[in-house]
Amino acid sequence: MTSLRLIARASAIAAAATLAFQVQAAEPIRIGVPVGLSGANSVVAPAVVQSSQLAVDEINSSGGILGRKVELEIVDDASGAVGAQKAFDTLVFQKKVDAIIAMETSAARNAALPIVARGKVPYIYTSFYEGRSCSPWMLVNGWVPEQQVAPVVDYFAKSKGAKSFFLVGSDYSFGRGMLDFTKKYIEQHGGKVVGEEYLPMDGSDWTAIISKIRAAHPDALISATAGGAPNVSLAKQLKAAGLAQPYGNLAIDEGTAKTMGDVATGMYLSASYLTSIDIPENVRFIDGMKKKFGAELKTPNELSAPQYEAIYLYKAAVEKAGSTDSAKVMKTLGEVSYTGPRGPVQMNKSRHTPLSMRLGQVQGDGSIKILETFANVDPGMQCPSAK
Amino acid sequence: MVFLLDWLTTAAMLFIVTAGLMMIFGVMKIVNFAHGALLTLGGYASFVVTQLRLDPWLSWPLALLAGVVVGCVVEAVIVRPLYKRPLDAILATWGLGIVIGQLIVIAFGRGVQFVDAPLQGTWSIAGLPYSAYRLVLIPVALGLCALLTGLLNGTRFGVKTRAVIMNEELARGLGIHSGRIRFVTFALGAGIGTLAGALITPLSSVDPDMGLPWLVGAFMLVMVSGHSMFSLLVTCLVFGACQVLVSTYLSPVLGGLTIAVLAALMLRIRPQGFAHG
Repeated sequence: MTSLRLIARASAIAAAATLAFQVQAAEPIRIGVPVGLSGANSVVAPAVVQSSQLAVDEINSSGGILGRKVELEIVDDASGAVGAQKAFDTLVFQKKVDAIIAMETSAARNAALPIVARGKVPYIYTSFYEGRSCSPWMLVNGWVPEQQVAPVVDYFAKSKGAKSFFLVGSDYSFGRGMLDFTKKYIEQHGGKVVGEEYLPMDGSDWTAIISKIRAAHPDALISATAGGAPNVSLAKQLKAAGLAQPYGNLAIDEGTAKTMGDVATGMYLSASYLTSIDIPENVRFIDGMKKKFGAELKTPNELSAPQYEAIYLYKAAVEKAGSTDSAKVMKTLGEVSYTGPRGPVQMNKSRHTPLSMRLGQVQGDGSIKILETFANVDPGMQCPSAK
Repeated sequence: MVFLLDWLTTAAMLFIVTAGLMMIFGVMKIVNFAHGALLTLGGYASFVVTQLRLDPWLSWPLALLAGVVVGCVVEAVIVRPLYKRPLDAILATWGLGIVIGQLIVIAFGRGVQFVDAPLQGTWSIAGLPYSAYRLVLIPVALGLCALLTGLLNGTRFGVKTRAVIMNEELARGLGIHSGRIRFVTFALGAGIGTLAGALITPLSSVDPDMGLPWLVGAFMLVMVSGHSMFSLLVTCLVFGACQVLVSTYLSPVLGGLTIAVLAALMLRIRPQGFAHG
């Protein structure tokens, strides 16, 4: 009897040991995160790295994906196209990652797509962008103009009675793309665009444009400048000129609004993620971030929340596919859904994601008050040739 | 009316950011590519003032002081051996610009910073609300022009400076300490550059690259205007008018090119620039 029990116990230990051994021996699943640790994106990149680390820690502490641990490969892409090519090349062909999940500038993304396609690696693009970028190996969970512009225009039209709009932007693909779409959207919905003006990306003198705005007497103003300097100089000069129209800024994020102080007060913005979103998933996300990073915490933002969700979406897709096989995972990635800090997300609309969008207004203390939530805003047919 | 105000304030801004370069490039013939970095430095001087919660007006003298100090060091360490080697001076000041930029990044980070403006709101000019701060720049530019013209043309220091620039050997023979004259002029030019950086911060963003967009335009203006402060003022008025006109009636994208294109044309037709008779 005793010996029997002994044998049973021994074999149980042995079984557990083998199991543990198998879990340990299984190759970790490696996720590549090329991100701009240096260069222009270095302002937002640390938050993206942190939210990736939180997602991976949470997944690993609850057993990993299919019993395999998850590892991050974080590589600096220097915020540009050349750096991104190197970073993607390293991740795909040297580190042989199972997937790439990252934000990029549009130029960097376009430069990296051929590498992803050649290496046949699933790529989740987690940044908002100007739309219409399609590859069989890429899925997008950030917003596109269709989703961001509608809340601003609809809110101005309904709540502020705005009929005439003035559009201001920086002269580059994001600025032009956003405002082209905004113009079409306004005109389709019975509004009028009384002016559309651009300044070169490095321009900082908005004098002539501000005089044109004043002369045109629009009911509302919408801008899509390059982030950073042009955005700030425009806001400062509008404020200095005393223009009091409702002002929707398509290129501002919560963090920038906060640092801008009273220059940004009263400005409207539209986002899929704001820290003040009041759903349990976001509260849990922010608590988790605070607990993990403490004083080192970079405030979660419009790029770091989608990054966090994308890692969970990848987990769900691998579990549904039963393996990390690229082709299978690409298929299941478009089917699985996950409820994250931004609400439910599913990358099922022509490789893009219907999202809940929030219209917020910057308050005097720099916080953002959510005035209205637009649920399940459709990205439209971004990639008509995709299944 | 709007055009008039836009024109005058634009010209004032152009003059303010160009004056420091005029001292160094126009008067001393040193191609100072670090001018953009000096503007940036001035912007960060006002950022420091904001951080210390001091009166925003203090950013002006502080920026001037910071620029003069940096100017002294740079002249003594980098520029002094290069007066006879103008091509090397281009490289040295370009490199210096990069170094200053990187030091700023190390000290303050890469992001955009925010600075308190000394003056906010608008003033009504003939019933038209117009940015108060921009209007203040007009007398500031005029004052700066008068001061520098007075200094260069009306004082002993100005005479000595011009003597050194025209013929250094002869000037030294007459007992002028040419090294000291160059030292003071360079420091002053650098100080005016940083002051300009502080002056434009309420209308621009403060980031490590804030001075760069002004650099090319400033060079064009100085090259066209020759070496007198008054002709620089005239150049700024003429080119400012063209820039505002093109921006208003054609497109602001073309407006951004106006100064460069006009300056190129101008130098083609009249290589000696505005100033010389």
